[in-house]
Amino acid sequence: MNSLRKILTFRSSNTLWVFIALVVVFSLFTPNRIFINVRNISAIGKLFPDLGIITLGVGMLMVCGEFDLSVAAVLPFCSYVFARLLFIGTSPLISFIVAILTGMALGYLNGFITVKTRMPSFITTLGTLWFWRGILYVWSKMMPMSIRTYVPNNTPFQLAMAGNLTPFFPVQVLWFLIFAVVLGIVLHYHRFGNWVFATGDNRDAARAMGIKTDMVKIVCYVIVGALCGFCACMQAVRLGSFAATQGVNFEFKAVAACVVGGTSLRGGIGSMLGILLGALIIPIIDNGLILMRVPVFAISAFIGLATVLFVLLNTYIERKMR
Amino acid sequence: MKNNWLMFLVITVLMVSMSSLAFGQEKPAEGMYFRLVTHGGDDPFWAVVQQGMLEAAKELGCQVDIDLAGSDLALQQKRFAEAVAQKPNGIALVVNDDTAWDKPVEDALAAGIPVIGINNDDSQGPAGNKRLCYIGQSEERAGYMIGLRLFQEAKDKGIDLANAHVAMPVEVPGANYGVVRSNGIKRAGEEFGISSFEIIDGGGLEMTTMEQRETSYLLAHPETTFMIGLGGIATDRLTDSLKAAGKEPGEVIAGGFDTTAATLNGLREGYITATIDQQQFLQGYYAVYVLYLYNKYGFTPNIDTGGYLVDSIEKIDLIEKLSPLHVR
Repeated sequence: MNSLRKILTFRSSNTLWVFIALVVVFSLFTPNRIFINVRNISAIGKLFPDLGIITLGVGMLMVCGEFDLSVAAVLPFCSYVFARLLFIGTSPLISFIVAILTGMALGYLNGFITVKTRMPSFITTLGTLWFWRGILYVWSKMMPMSIRTYVPNNTPFQLAMAGNLTPFFPVQVLWFLIFAVVLGIVLHYHRFGNWVFATGDNRDAARAMGIKTDMVKIVCYVIVGALCGFCACMQAVRLGSFAATQGVNFEFKAVAACVVGGTSLRGGIGSMLGILLGALIIPIIDNGLILMRVPVFAISAFIGLATVLFVLLNTYIERKMR
Repeated sequence: MKNNWLMFLVITVLMVSMSSLAFGQEKPAEGMYFRLVTHGGDDPFWAVVQQGMLEAAKELGCQVDIDLAGSDLALQQKRFAEAVAQKPNGIALVVNDDTAWDKPVEDALAAGIPVIGINNDDSQGPAGNKRLCYIGQSEERAGYMIGLRLFQEAKDKGIDLANAHVAMPVEVPGANYGVVRSNGIKRAGEEFGISSFEIIDGGGLEMTTMEQRETSYLLAHPETTFMIGLGGIATDRLTDSLKAAGKEPGEVIAGGFDTTAATLNGLREGYITATIDQQQFLQGYYAVYVLYLYNKYGFTPNIDTGGYLVDSIEKIDLIEKLSPLHVR
């Protein structure tokens, strides 16, 4: 009984119930139960991790009390670095590592500017979002670059980034789960996770406790940058090209997914399970409604409504818990 | 001494003559300044327009600049006002709204600055906007052309067109290009007795969202006979969406606009039947030439740059060759 109460009062449990409800409703009411058709699940599994993996890092950063809107620029920037390196003959693996390092460097810059200037991260990363997109446009001339010749189908790197483990189990899902588990362990079972929660909840108190809050924040930004670099390569390999439009609107979608997953916009509250579910719920709503033949023009309205309802629900639960 | 003076005089005359010859080779539009005010943004399309513009400027010896407004109409209007204030020798403008550009264009013309339309025109043409002429693809005709090509393909395969369904994903629902292109497709469809059309909101310029929407739609609507991307990104994602939905090449007759790598790949694999190349290089190139010729002779030609149907291996090869040069 006690453990049942614990589960019911667990912050992300409301997200979990909604997730289960959505799966049940869409499974029962989509024509021919196409929602649970293996082809549909495989299609979702291949696509949602592009944003989902970044959402995991953004969620952790939000728990730390900060935002990162620049993900929508860091991702295509890293993708371009990856493509350029392939074009000059660098191996896919080295290009991949450099792209991730580029993401980490840009993440570090975001963190450094934010903690040193005490500027709200919303503004810092909005600025870097525009700055890096501008640099990218000038550098790339916005021209797409096909990388299929450099990363051909069925090569080990292509399979590791965009292949299938079984005919209908895309490798992207595995990567998403690996990152979720690793970040979940760090956030909930490691000392660094305690520092993240403490920094996000009350920075001054955390500093008084001896936590290096600036370092904690910078590390969280670097994690987001690394995940952007990873997703940039994963997406570019799947698409077979670099495109300047990669990551457009990811900044808001990632925040929305975290909020749906029960992460507080004020920091200090959130869970990796909630963030994981939040990353799944929005694409599931999108997919399920289209499968239910809801006019596609109405989908955005439903997603907007769902996001607001989740915030209201979480705020209500937050108040009840106090 | 007299000889020295004579020599000096001869050399001076020669130098003046050579200078005159050199000036005679002066490029025709030297000293002129033109500006292209566009709504473009996160789209490789405009890099090709810019390339055309730069090549023309190099040939004519004039100065040119291009403004990209990221689909922000208010910003584009600000850029246009700034361009007018600079008093250039001409402005090429993307007329992407039927009313917003009426007065600014009239005011610029009244101030003596020639304004021509490029890429997108008022839906009423010269009756709707006073721009001097228009250079670009006739969007309605382009839609009509791709529609004819795809519907004819279906007819040749013996598909029952009376019960056919046409799905048209678009990046920005309501945007002028999508509306006008879809009108052209519908007009072609009527000639084949097709009456079921639906425009799909692809969720913006982001490719994963587009692919997710197209795949879900194909799974939910097995009656889909045709899927025609109304923009470059919607067309780019068609091949992967069709594969993800378990469709065989040609099972759904697909096509659209622009010639990205994935679209060309889809053409090669048979998932895409045809696509329309706007030849947007010409929009930038001709814009500069037409403005120069207007300044010199008052010419105002309307030029249709589009409608290049890509549906064969030879055409794919040609585009793949020119693409890295930012020409196609």
